[in-house]
Amino acid sequence: MSVTLRFEGKEISAEAGQPLAVALFVAGERVLSRSVKYHRPRGMFCLTGHCGACLMRVDGRPNQKACQVPCVDGLVAERQNAFPSAAFDVLGITDFVFARGLDHNTMFTSPQILHSVVQKVVRHLAGLGTLPDEASRYGTPEVRHLDAIVVGAGPAGLAAATALGRAGRRTLVVDEQLRPGGSYFAEPSDGAAQAARAVTTAEDAGVELWSRATALGWYPEDTAPGRAPGVLVVGRPDRLAILTADRYIYATGGYDQNLLFGDNDRPGVLPARAAGRLLSRDVLVGERPILVGQGAYVEALANALTERGAKVERVDGHEKRLVAARGRSWLAGSWVAGAELNVAGQRQRVSGDAVLVWCEPTPASELPRQHGAAVELRPEAGGFVALADEHGRAAPSVWVCGDVTGYLGPASAALAGKRVGEAAA
Amino acid sequence: MRPLDAVVDVKRAPPRRDVPMPERCEIAIIGGGVMGLGIAYQLAKRGLTDVVVLERGYLAEGASGRNGGGVRMQWSTETNVRLMQQSIALCAGFAEEFGINVWFRQGGYLFLGRSEEERRKMERNVELQNRCGVPTKLIAPDDARDLVPELSLDGVVCAAYNPKDGVLFPWPFLWGYAQKAEAAGVRVQLYTDVKRIDVEKAGFQLHTNRGQLHARRVINAAGAWSPEVARLVGVELPNRPHRHEILSTEPLKPFLKPMVSLLSSGLYFSQSMRGEIVTGITVPDHDDGTVKLGSRLRFLTTLAKELVRVAPRLADVKILRQWAGPYDVSPDGRPILGEPAGVPGFFLACGFVGHGFMMAPVMAKLYAELLTDGEKHPVFDECRLDRFASGDIQREDMILG
Amino acid sequence: MKILVCRCEDVPLEEITHVLDRGFVSVEECKRLTGLGTGPCQGKECMLACALLCHAAGGGAHPITPFTARPPLSPTPLGALATALTTSLTTEDDE
Repeated sequence: MSVTLRFEGKEISAEAGQPLAVALFVAGERVLSRSVKYHRPRGMFCLTGHCGACLMRVDGRPNQKACQVPCVDGLVAERQNAFPSAAFDVLGITDFVFARGLDHNTMFTSPQILHSVVQKVVRHLAGLGTLPDEASRYGTPEVRHLDAIVVGAGPAGLAAATALGRAGRRTLVVDEQLRPGGSYFAEPSDGAAQAARAVTTAEDAGVELWSRATALGWYPEDTAPGRAPGVLVVGRPDRLAILTADRYIYATGGYDQNLLFGDNDRPGVLPARAAGRLLSRDVLVGERPILVGQGAYVEALANALTERGAKVERVDGHEKRLVAARGRSWLAGSWVAGAELNVAGQRQRVSGDAVLVWCEPTPASELPRQHGAAVELRPEAGGFVALADEHGRAAPSVWVCGDVTGYLGPASAALAGKRVGEAAA
Repeated sequence: MRPLDAVVDVKRAPPRRDVPMPERCEIAIIGGGVMGLGIAYQLAKRGLTDVVVLERGYLAEGASGRNGGGVRMQWSTETNVRLMQQSIALCAGFAEEFGINVWFRQGGYLFLGRSEEERRKMERNVELQNRCGVPTKLIAPDDARDLVPELSLDGVVCAAYNPKDGVLFPWPFLWGYAQKAEAAGVRVQLYTDVKRIDVEKAGFQLHTNRGQLHARRVINAAGAWSPEVARLVGVELPNRPHRHEILSTEPLKPFLKPMVSLLSSGLYFSQSMRGEIVTGITVPDHDDGTVKLGSRLRFLTTLAKELVRVAPRLADVKILRQWAGPYDVSPDGRPILGEPAGVPGFFLACGFVGHGFMMAPVMAKLYAELLTDGEKHPVFDECRLDRFASGDIQREDMILG
Repeated sequence: MKILVCRCEDVPLEEITHVLDRGFVSVEECKRLTGLGTGPCQGKECMLACALLCHAAGGGAHPITPFTARPPLSPTPLGALATALTTSLTTEDDE
């Protein structure tokens, strides 16, 4: 079903329910925001609501993650922090003038009169977005107790929940994305189908599932009436939920990372999994993507993109290494136009219309850490991995499974989730 | 690809925390927050550079790195008013003196009251402030709304505003003081924890996790941890750590000029230079004498309820992060200074409640004057430790957060 | 050409290496001195790169730990919290 959005005075057609960032990409609107200090143009990036690249003003509310806003008829979207517009932001001159960076800590500290003027200017340049137009009304929080709560409806979470459901435990899965399925949706072929199967299996096991439900924090000192201390607070679109359970299973997965190379924040530079997520929405990231990295995911993505008619430039990360993204000036739209590579010590330029970079996602370990889990830095597994015993138990009443324990990929994560769900039951 | 694959070799750097410990010094300052570093800087400025600052964590790990950056002259005791006049003048000149921006903005502090008793107190305090030369004005609630259009005046019966109060960003103060002090020869030891102190005839032997240090004089500027430190020399202090939680929101374009506060609930909110609303409120806490830095949902709900009541337009503004910092609370709301009986050479610079940061610039100067010239400002007598035993106290009641 | 370590706060690699060069080789110190991790994503996208840079600069002299995981893990409107009936939550003091 098609809906109409208003984007900065233009009308744009979109699919109902499509994330706003994706709908804008399809409509050719690729610069979604300008960065705080240097006003560098930014486009979509992780497509999972974990970075800050796609913050826009939606329906009069500032700093909404455009990848988490589903398109509905009449939606109004604008970009922020740019003058006169994000497409042509005069403040982008800051980036050019301060090519080597601007140390705001030591600049213009004297003489006093200059200092005062500069402070005023800096204050007016700061901030992303203006006050919301209105004050919404929110419902009172729902308070519930379950046998088991699973955070994350990805491969591990759904498998763990299924096991718990089958063991007769009253189980609730909370997931922050628009659709349940987590990293299944990043799978380059039939990701959506894999997600749907896992969801159905869990629902058949009697599991309750909330989407657009973000676990905001574990609060050990707060107590729900009649319960042991500790509550899990979950944010939903129009109110909170305050949850407690006998068992907490964190299957929070991993965050795609911002890797370090020249012009790495250019629109069109994306984590490889973002290209997979676009495919699950039936969108091709580009006709000539440059795909950096090796391994099973990269191979699968390369095949899927090729099947869709793209010409994929492979950069394996060893013989050929990525040095920098290259692109058009901000006057010409900023989108990536290629990459600079190091090929056996020689510089080489390739052209392309997207730069997709694969790296193991970094474990989303905040919740397990808040809830007592320990972590250890293991770079090859993605980062600070949540530690657990052989049953997946990380702390009293707390289990962890899936990519949050170190990158596994969907198939292994699902197996791990099943084992941990059985152990926790 | 790995995150650092395209980064040309990262240069090895000797960790700052491993800087070797000296063995002796004239003055050891326990606590590397704004008070300790400020005193070190002021001592060095006066030529006394044989100083070692011992900070248990990283720079800005304690209350100095966790506060909302408010600085005000509106107080209920004359000493505080006069000291803060001086401190604010020092804050205004900081960037130029230290070459580091502290984003000091004098947007004023607006206090709102909701009862007749509060009005009476407000009138008395404003009169005191005016006598000291502070331009605070009592204003009508409607005029408060001229200053902050987003305010709801629900229940508000009185208001006071001093345009010269302000907010700053705390962390750069520490860098500035530390850098200049170190440039003058002061040593700042990070990640250094004092575990034991031997009181000797001509000084103190400090035992730390990184070695021993002998100091002729010691300053206890350990804030919420000052009672622990005082116990190391056998002194019991009456101040106790109270947790104060705080949050910041998404950064928005500037719209809020003053810091707004309600003493009845302890609410305060202001907009930082980066555009975030930084805000806190008083929430009851179980006092077990320990320093607690965890976050509670109860803080968020209490704060949100009151803030949305006072400024309904903020309902859709989003919280980015909450954290906590310790107030070092003395029984009368006033600091504990000077040498305790029986331990000459051990100086107290603690008990500053929620106004230690803002008072540090002037207190550091006064302490350095005392320790170098022997010049003793009356505040050292007013705030001596034994006042609690003799009952000779004056309460400061304009406490918020 | 800039390499951005923290995109939310526009912290380029040069700024981080400047901090590391001064011996502040921990994630918490980098955060305090540059603002890395204090923006909308609160470090989800950049903390690891910072940790790896600290590890490389410090040579493993001290274990690298992540920053404290503070709530809320996603930006949350004040209004959603304002409706909570505080009687639905208790803490020790209320007993």
